[in-house]
Amino acid sequence: MSLTVAPEAGTSPPEIEPQAAPASVAPARGRTGRVTSALRALAGALAVTITVLLLASVITFALGALSDSNPAAAVLGETATPEDIARMNHEFGLDRPLVVQYVAWVGDAVQGDLGRSWFTTIPVADSIKQALPVDLSIAALALVLAILIGGGSGIAAALSNGGAVDRLVTLVCSVLATLPPFVIGMALIVIFSVKLQLLPAGGYVPIEQDPAQWLRFSILPSLALSLDVAASIARQLRTSMVTALTENYAIGAEMRGYGRSRVLFGHVLRNAAAPTLAVIGLAIPLIVGGAVITERLFGLPGVAQLALQSAERGDVPVVLGTLLVTAVVVVIASAVVNVLQRALDPTTRRQGGPR
Amino acid sequence: MTIIRNLWRVPSARFALVVLAVIAFLTLVGGALAPHDPLRQYTDHVLEGPSAAHWLGTDYVGRDVLSRLMAGTRLSVIGAFEAVLIGGVLGVPSGLASAWLGPRLEWMTLRISDTLVILPFTVFAIAVAGTLGNGLQQAMFAIGVLISPIFFRVTRAAALGLRRQQYVEAAELMGATEWWTLRRHIWSKVLPNVAVTSAQATGAALLVVASLSFLGLGVSPPAPTWGGMLASDLDYLAQQPWAPVFPGLLMMATVGSLNLLADAVREAAGDPSRRRSPRRVTVRPEQKEAARA
Repeated sequence: MSLTVAPEAGTSPPEIEPQAAPASVAPARGRTGRVTSALRALAGALAVTITVLLLASVITFALGALSDSNPAAAVLGETATPEDIARMNHEFGLDRPLVVQYVAWVGDAVQGDLGRSWFTTIPVADSIKQALPVDLSIAALALVLAILIGGGSGIAAALSNGGAVDRLVTLVCSVLATLPPFVIGMALIVIFSVKLQLLPAGGYVPIEQDPAQWLRFSILPSLALSLDVAASIARQLRTSMVTALTENYAIGAEMRGYGRSRVLFGHVLRNAAAPTLAVIGLAIPLIVGGAVITERLFGLPGVAQLALQSAERGDVPVVLGTLLVTAVVVVIASAVVNVLQRALDPTTRRQGGPR
Repeated sequence: MTIIRNLWRVPSARFALVVLAVIAFLTLVGGALAPHDPLRQYTDHVLEGPSAAHWLGTDYVGRDVLSRLMAGTRLSVIGAFEAVLIGGVLGVPSGLASAWLGPRLEWMTLRISDTLVILPFTVFAIAVAGTLGNGLQQAMFAIGVLISPIFFRVTRAAALGLRRQQYVEAAELMGATEWWTLRRHIWSKVLPNVAVTSAQATGAALLVVASLSFLGLGVSPPAPTWGGMLASDLDYLAQQPWAPVFPGLLMMATVGSLNLLADAVREAAGDPSRRRSPRRVTVRPEQKEAARA
């Protein structure tokens, strides 16, 4: 369920917008010019990242501020007296001006303190620290699977360009794009757990406890999570490879007598990889968001379970904490993908900045 | 009407229009046409397969699956529409403003769009439910806000390309107000892009709405929705492994049709997202559609 508008059209991630980082489009002059322009591009990207993180924290905090729930009402329910409300609001610092609360909240968050749960008074950061590895390991495995499956089928489709394999890949991709990922997950449960009884339909074993068991429990959730993204990768890779194969450098390399596989993997794939990485970058929020559904589907004890339970009983600090941590995870992952993309794409590197 | 007539000539678009007409019909009167009350529990017919009385079988408390699908169409589709509407209302004007009102506002709107793009739908919707309450309006608001960057980017890209056109500059030089230029020259060019985006976004929103109701967000359980039905199917996969097929197929047909339609509209308009120099300047959009087909 890709939300990117027409991934084939090379939808640009935020950083590729020409206006995103004015410093980065400065023309590079000579070697020193290239270095400074690369540094300026880095500074611009950093400014964008920090702004995005700040805005995400503002949005998160605003949700809490707009909420009319308070700790006393949440914990004591109907029996809360005005005195109780005032006392507990004071206890959690909710009687201070909003700006003061925001600054304190962000300041603590930077140091890894996300406040305490209204109900259990367990530090939010501790609960998240316990649940996050589940999602991260599932999401990471899903990303690897997506790249393997999507990359493989994309290359196969590009090679058969117009042939049976190409049409099959395109068909499967279009079908996957019209289904919510949890339906695919349910199909996987039916096939591998109910019918073949090969893999468990739910449950979880931490990776540090028993890697083999972890894989057994994680492979279905990760596969369910990956197919959607694999489809986007396959489509993008196919499109850019088919384009790249007709470019002069590819034809030239073939004419000079390089073998087909050398042209393909040495030249074409390298150039086609950059837009594909952009697609992967855009898919990271989808993977993280999809992990929530996957948790429900396979009964995994992850962040979403925590967030859902807390949302149900109105435990605002936990809910806000999970949203903020999720945003940070996505931003970091996207930044890594961006750096990789920059390193891989010869055109962005030569200009010392985005096209 | 001309647009629909032109689309009708394309086989894939014709198929999509028929499917969407059926879905629209179900949205309007599906609940009334349902053979059974979607909430009535036939307790001695629990988890049954298709039969003459229950064409698609019954669920875990004996409710008629076909009736629940028909009645559930309304909440699922209306929810998606509402989210797309909110997204468009937030995204289109801010996209135009970002292309028009100077670099500082542009930078800020771009950063806000970047921020909304990184927030995952499900996590954000859970947070909204936890702070603002768990209801359909809150869930649609959450999806709408997160969908708005799509509209923002598409509008902005189209408007930016047009802004540098000579005829737009000429109009400004001749003393046309910004508002007039926007209405006269920009809007008619941006509109096809917004239409294509709306179709795609509706498909995406349907899937997100289904995901949220699968998690129990937005719609409270007894009311039927496609996502909610799938959630209850999940616990009985061992008994009824085929149960998810029906809501799944319905969703696939709807979303697939919306995508087909978006492709057809885009092709009919000659890929407006790519085209930078409009050929016919004074022609109205509906005439343009006719001329191109």
